[in-house]
Amino acid sequence: MLSSNATERRLQVAGIIIILGLLVEALSLLGHGAIAFLVFVGIGGTLLVLGVAAYLLALVHTGAHEK
Amino acid sequence: MEFATLFVLLLIAFSILLIAVVVSRPQVTVSPVGKIVAFLALFAFPLLSIGMGFSTQMDRSKSTQFCLSCHIMEPYGKSLRVDDTVHLAAAHYQNHRVPADEACYTCHTNYAMFGTIKAKVGGLRHIYVYYLGHPPKPADIKLYEPFNNRECLHCHAGARSFEEGAVHTADPSLLPDIKSNKVSCLSSGCHQTVHDVATLGEQKFWKGGN
Repeated sequence: MLSSNATERRLQVAGIIIILGLLVEALSLLGHGAIAFLVFVGIGGTLLVLGVAAYLLALVHTGAHEK
Repeated sequence: MEFATLFVLLLIAFSILLIAVVVSRPQVTVSPVGKIVAFLALFAFPLLSIGMGFSTQMDRSKSTQFCLSCHIMEPYGKSLRVDDTVHLAAAHYQNHRVPADEACYTCHTNYAMFGTIKAKVGGLRHIYVYYLGHPPKPADIKLYEPFNNRECLHCHAGARSFEEGAVHTADPSLLPDIKSNKVSCLSSGCHQTVHDVATLGEQKFWKGGN
């Protein structure tokens, strides 16, 4: 259940995206071959970058509101 | 499972646990300790995981098993087991002149700066062609550019069998020409039989080394 507070909700969304990315990375590490490598870089990497960017954006928004 | 992989998987599991705490109780991030936990969970550990995971994947992508995971490469893997010393790749693989578990990478990466990156970019192109393009028949696969002697000399330069070999020293100009890449090691009459995948059906195969 997502929080009603905007900052907390952004952190939750970032966390969920990062968890998905980490799960994809873990699964691809269990596999071997070219497909595992592509999934790791293409899907896992993209989700992690998006998740971390969402976290950083949440921090920026929080900072802007505090000012 | 290799230690590095296990370590990355444990790090990922720990990161997921920490993130789950932040996601299920986001109000903890109000306190300074909670902010640090959120930073570690949502920034530091994921970046560490992807960095270490990428390094593990890059190491794996050098393995012979990785290269042969595409079916189109199977004949090339088979050519490493041809029971004939004239077949250059087979002789190198079977006599451990190259590490058996990194046989493809050892010869097919260039030893200049960014050689590994170039090899990986080439590999991505192979994957694209294999899955989305029109892959050639195994026997029709060609190198993008002629094989550079530099890759052979990386190991053979200075070796007695190379520097003092009867054929190599028969003509005084041959060694300098080989070293300057004017005469290819793979020239006709020299080491021209590398991966002769077209004649695999006529070959005997070495069954050892498993």
